[in-house]
Amino acid sequence: MQEQLKIFLKKIIADNKGYKYIFNHSSWRTDFLRFYQSQVNYNISKNSEQLWVTLYKGQKSLSFAISDPDEKKLNNKLTESYALIDNLPADKDFVDIEADPTKTEEKAKVDNTIELSLEDKIVILQKFADVAAKHAFKIFGTFICNYEVSTIINSNGVNKVSYNSPIMLEIKGVADKNMVTILESLGGEQLSSLNFDAALTSFEKKLIAGQAEVVDLDPGHYEVVLAPRCIGEYLSYLGSSFGASALDRKSSFFEGKENKQIFPKNITVYDDPHDSELVNFDYNGEGRKIEKLMLIENGVFKNYLVDNYYGNKLGLPVNGNDGSCLVLKTGDKSLDQMISTVKKGIYISSLHYMNFINVKETSLTGLTRDGTFLIENGKITKVVNNLRFTEKISSIIENIVEIENSSVVVPNSSNYGAFSISSSKMPHVKVSKFHISSSTKTI
Amino acid sequence: MKKLIYDIINKLNGQDIQFGDVRFTSTDSQTIFFEKKNLKHISKTTDAEALGIRVLVNGCWGFAGTDVVDVTKVDSLINLALSNAKHSARFRHTPVKFKAIKPTVGSYYFRPEEDPFLMSDEEKIEYFQNIAIKLNQNPSIIHSYVHTNFYRQYKVYANTEGTFVDTLVYDTMPSMSVLAANKNGMQQRTWPGHMSTRRGGFEVVRAAKLEENIDKIVKEVIDLLDAPTIQEEKADLIIGGGHLALQIHESVGHATEADRILGMEISYAGKTFIKPKMLGNFKYGSEHVNIYSDSTDPRGIGYHLVDDEGVPGRRVDIIKNGILMDQQTSREIAPQLKLEASSNMLASFADDFPLVRMTNFCLAPGKAGSLEDLIKSTERGYYIDFTKTWSIDDNRNNFQFTTEIGYKIVDGEIVGIVKEPTYFGITPEFWGACDAVCSESEWVFHGTSNCGKGEPGQAMHLSHGVAPARFKNIVCNVKA
Repeated sequence: MQEQLKIFLKKIIADNKGYKYIFNHSSWRTDFLRFYQSQVNYNISKNSEQLWVTLYKGQKSLSFAISDPDEKKLNNKLTESYALIDNLPADKDFVDIEADPTKTEEKAKVDNTIELSLEDKIVILQKFADVAAKHAFKIFGTFICNYEVSTIINSNGVNKVSYNSPIMLEIKGVADKNMVTILESLGGEQLSSLNFDAALTSFEKKLIAGQAEVVDLDPGHYEVVLAPRCIGEYLSYLGSSFGASALDRKSSFFEGKENKQIFPKNITVYDDPHDSELVNFDYNGEGRKIEKLMLIENGVFKNYLVDNYYGNKLGLPVNGNDGSCLVLKTGDKSLDQMISTVKKGIYISSLHYMNFINVKETSLTGLTRDGTFLIENGKITKVVNNLRFTEKISSIIENIVEIENSSVVVPNSSNYGAFSISSSKMPHVKVSKFHISSSTKTI
Repeated sequence: MKKLIYDIINKLNGQDIQFGDVRFTSTDSQTIFFEKKNLKHISKTTDAEALGIRVLVNGCWGFAGTDVVDVTKVDSLINLALSNAKHSARFRHTPVKFKAIKPTVGSYYFRPEEDPFLMSDEEKIEYFQNIAIKLNQNPSIIHSYVHTNFYRQYKVYANTEGTFVDTLVYDTMPSMSVLAANKNGMQQRTWPGHMSTRRGGFEVVRAAKLEENIDKIVKEVIDLLDAPTIQEEKADLIIGGGHLALQIHESVGHATEADRILGMEISYAGKTFIKPKMLGNFKYGSEHVNIYSDSTDPRGIGYHLVDDEGVPGRRVDIIKNGILMDQQTSREIAPQLKLEASSNMLASFADDFPLVRMTNFCLAPGKAGSLEDLIKSTERGYYIDFTKTWSIDDNRNNFQFTTEIGYKIVDGEIVGIVKEPTYFGITPEFWGACDAVCSESEWVFHGTSNCGKGEPGQAMHLSHGVAPARFKNIVCNVKA
């Protein structure tokens, strides 16, 4: 944020003690390459500057957003808001805005939209395209770099800046003959730590597996090995129950299960916004410094994700976490060991279009995608058509019998609303009983 | 602003490019959200401007967009778009072919009956607070919301072929929901349903009859708590218009977006089971199934004079008497499939890249009379509506949907309700099982403002015109 605007925001706060303000400013840009059939589809360069303002008077509040903010626009909006706020109904559950003064070191990060140029990206993609061509596949996917500087200033003295510059490569190999699809991805904020060569090796291994015979599977219960991104996605969906707002709506699976053993003892899940391998977030959207938070420890549910509002409303300790850096603790088996003991089962690479049937029961449906493989007698033998599952996430976790002894960073781009990239760190897991409800009959 | 757009087009015409276009949008939106009886959120964004420049150079697209619309930075935006195209062309083996079309010049300004942006906020809040209070009068309701979104967008589109069009549209989305819980679990009822966005202003809110339907959804959500589920393995289903709009959206609309055939959306939204060779001969559904894309119907949200690459609005028969005839296409894709561009390239905001999107994607009315007539002609089955869960595979072939409520039909009469009716199908088999579509009198537009596609993601406003329809012998006993 320009210093002049920052000074102006502080002056507004100082001059208007009868109100409270939250100013969230974001300066953001992306360099976003989309490719298909081993060629560029389009490259987008896009920048955005936004100021979100929430104005409080006692328990009354309203919000507005300004693109390309300046003093004149802000003054106009505030004048309009001062006139309205007295006439709004009060929110009796509101107590106060964030007052946590704790800061992390405000260190600017390398701008990866510059560090990793379009030319560099094309060189990397050409290598993947060449390997894919060797096996009669083509590459499809996205190669993204973002850079964002976020500033939050409020009337309770919060004044914090954070930087975020994720890189994400998601690359799919699609077979020329039958559209069998396999997936490789990597991401993080440190370009030097991204091992593109290792990803290329892993990609080629999957391309080879993707050339096997394609078969269909009947509905039923199967032993499955879930790739890291799959268990990460299930845990992310469980976030709808981790949140204190869900508890308030009486829709949390964890209601009444606090500090109880609900999953096997090998399940430990936490949110760690400072894990150096992940895309880091220093503060939550209210400006609270967030720390590592245990969610499930040795199978026992420990904590809800609690923001300021619901902490006050429900009498829960505020932690400010939002579950955007989930980590599942590793186990003691290698992936090969996990697969080797499966007599007949399925390896699932990725999930698609999940939606809850009953959120409190955690029942949902969704599909496999981008590489579903049959495991027979301890080996991956065939490609399987994409499958539909209808399951409870709680049952999937209850049935985890083995966890891999290493984990990988799984990047994830949020495509609704403001575009952002987050990540989780997950190992493979083996689930003893998993309900396949139908086949798609297609790859 | 028009002068700025002309200036940019003039600058693009001075460049060595095959094609260029410029879009400008200025968008206003307001959200009013009551949770239980509390005004949890009121927010407004006004005059959110965005500018996007797209160029075709050396057979490759380049794009640059911004929401910081600054006349002094236009040259750098043009140069960024050009640079993106030139560099990207190094990784493009099949150049984009782009046939010139006749330019369109025009304007379209929609005028709502009640402009929500001219109404006082106090008046709107009082209206919705009254609903919020009434939703919570029954102690069995553990949670509720009233959520309304008002939207207005002014857009200028211009290209190097001479097309110059500006438009102003208004869309409004009213909704309310109640939750109830007991030892059997938790249930939800919403009104007016999942696809409640319509073209218009506050008159859309009044037409939704929120207050008049409070008692209905409160009673139904409480009754659902102790209602049975469907027990039959298969049943005949009459699908109400609100949910049928989503069924068409997911299993026909997205499936017939031709960018999916070419794999342009594999990285995110997915593929399609449709292959080019199916056009003109593939049996997608029964003879009762006639589906078309029509961006010339101003009643729907998807109306436009031109799409976001200058193609005039068109009506295109996608499925005629059950046979797949055409696709939703762009100027780049259509010739590859030997089709004419269907006027379906759209972007949410000017700083987004245009994609193949649905506009007004409709199921033509049939001859089955009213919904009442259709129920009367059904021996055993369920009338289901109000979307709860939706999921469809990467190829748009295998879907599974759950609605909030189902009404059991025996001998042409509704005899009770079922909770969470869940049905599963394979797209062409399901549409092949359609044996009746209600008549014109039941046909209305439903709409959404939140159809996600593309990367970076875009939420599109679009419509589906439908009348309730019946599907025979559908798998409907799927449980976790």
